[in-house]
Amino acid sequence: MDRRDFMKMTGGTILAVSSGTYAFQFLVASGRSVSGDNIAAGTVRWGMVIDLNKCIEGCTACLDACRTENNVAFHGDNRWDVHWIRKVKAEQKIGTESKEKSILLLCNHCDKPPCAQVCPVQATYKRNDGIVIVDHHRCIGCRYCMIACPYNARYFNMKDSEHWQNEERPKRSHGVAEACTLCAHRLDTGRQPACVEACNNTGAGVLFVGNLNDSDSEVSQLIADRPTKRLREELGTEPKVHYIGL
Amino acid sequence: MEIIFEKLEGKSLAYRMAMLVFAAFAVGGLISTWIVIEKGICVTGMTNRVPWGLQIVMAIYYIGLSAGSLVISGLYGVFGKQEYKPFARIAVWIAMLFLIAGMLSILTDQGRMDRVFVEPFVHFNLQSMFSINPILYSGHIFICVVYLWALFTERKRFTTIIATIAFGWAFCVHSGTGAIFGFGARVLYESPLLPVSFVTAAMASGTALMILLIVGLFKITKRYLDDRLILWLGQFLAVCILVVVYFLFIENAYRAYVVELRPAAMYYLFEGLHSILFWVGLILIGCVIPMFILFRKKTGQTIKWIVFASSLVVFGVICERYVIVLPGLTHPQEILTGMHITQSAIQEGVANYTISLAEIAQALGVFGVIGFLFLWGMKFFKLMPTEAVIYDQIGMIKRNEYQKRREAKSIKSSE
Repeated sequence: MDRRDFMKMTGGTILAVSSGTYAFQFLVASGRSVSGDNIAAGTVRWGMVIDLNKCIEGCTACLDACRTENNVAFHGDNRWDVHWIRKVKAEQKIGTESKEKSILLLCNHCDKPPCAQVCPVQATYKRNDGIVIVDHHRCIGCRYCMIACPYNARYFNMKDSEHWQNEERPKRSHGVAEACTLCAHRLDTGRQPACVEACNNTGAGVLFVGNLNDSDSEVSQLIADRPTKRLREELGTEPKVHYIGL
Repeated sequence: MEIIFEKLEGKSLAYRMAMLVFAAFAVGGLISTWIVIEKGICVTGMTNRVPWGLQIVMAIYYIGLSAGSLVISGLYGVFGKQEYKPFARIAVWIAMLFLIAGMLSILTDQGRMDRVFVEPFVHFNLQSMFSINPILYSGHIFICVVYLWALFTERKRFTTIIATIAFGWAFCVHSGTGAIFGFGARVLYESPLLPVSFVTAAMASGTALMILLIVGLFKITKRYLDDRLILWLGQFLAVCILVVVYFLFIENAYRAYVVELRPAAMYYLFEGLHSILFWVGLILIGCVIPMFILFRKKTGQTIKWIVFASSLVVFGVICERYVIVLPGLTHPQEILTGMHITQSAIQEGVANYTISLAEIAQALGVFGVIGFLFLWGMKFFKLMPTEAVIYDQIGMIKRNEYQKRREAKSIKSSE
């Protein structure tokens, strides 16, 4: 074989491999179907309203429900614990007085999610219904999304979790990033997210999830009637979690 | 004058010992990586607040060394400086290896290493800097292979072409790496200047490393090396450091000047371990002392001092990489504007990060693999020139003197 033949063969192989790769990618992409993806863009856009004024001091119903429902990893070490939703106490200075508030923090399911933008494998993506979700089977664990998220809402499974209360949901294995899914599996079957359900059961009624594109929905009504705020709005990420009383 | 390249014999005790040490490092790295795969990233110093650590620091450091050493080969390939031809092959070889080192560091840092070889290539995301960079990296390795081939087969015209491409590509590679941080959302990352300052720091560290490598190799293998070649590199290194300092000054002055960024600037410059690394490691050891040595006439013209300054720069740039990656993460993000979080289930405020043994073992492991490959290559490829001479009057006189001295020495020792 002379050099010319060798070059031809090498070129041919490279071409064949790369075209094969893209054909494969096309097949995988077209075969992909998460129920939320099938919703025509614009019909449903899930959003959340949190009425902090009603949130009960010391209550952890939503946190516990989330952990149980989604088998969220808990190791008892604040370096590795995963919190899809967490409650913080924050101090705000108004004049000379300082006021303390309990605030629930979770993934904001941004309309322009920086985490999805930076994901090198499109494992984090926004569904047509606006939920930002991680594909656990695709994530390579680079943690670039955690760097990009301005809300510290993303967590990494630093170690395997033994916690597996809800066997209908996957057990959490180490090596992938994750965040609140807004209980997409529940919303897809017409149920409310676990945190919302638990909160309603306590009678507090802090959390509301609904369709932001429907002006008659409870969340749209609340946003229209009450003064609401979103976190770090100036960043332009368009978060879909609205706070009352922040 | 034709330059003859040859393989190293690779039978000396020093060679074998070095191979053994590198292999031991590599094994240590492998064991540590296996533990990380088994147990998860919890064995490292990284946490949910500080998701990147030493491996990322080392990755961008290695990539910098790669881009920098390619510049040295470019002296011959692009700018046609014949006197630097003896170093061209080694420079490209080391450039290729250090890029592989960078990729190995990134690979061993991933949560799911098994997916890295497929997913990034089949689910490409053009909007992500992390997606664009692998193309630049693999392209860089491919170009280095072609470049080496051109050098081995002595194709002059083709060498110039591929060297020019490689030179430009190295700039893109390093700007791209800088952009991973510079285009990021963190206060201490975000800076359009970062890709540019990345390139200059890369050039400084790459040049310093090449000086160490060339002087070391020629000394150990007892080959003639014209001092003036290194003296010029020393001056080039000094200028590179000056540019690095200039960029560092602009970047920090900007942050300290803008009211909104001032708290972050104060944190960066004066709080915690990274500020010590910044002032002592980077500014004093990595910049001020080497510049003083290199710009001073007496020391700047002495090989020993240049080698000393180069080793300081090689260390200083590791610090530079550390103070790029870590402070940006340990510095708290402002989630709730105007509020202060007093109680939380995760670490709020300034987060801490301590380098763990596992990460050190991994970093040394990558270094071991590359060191091993480097020495192996020196034995199996014709990379090492028989001598490095400037073919002018002074150069020839100096070389002849050197040869006479060596002959006299060998006669003496045989007697």
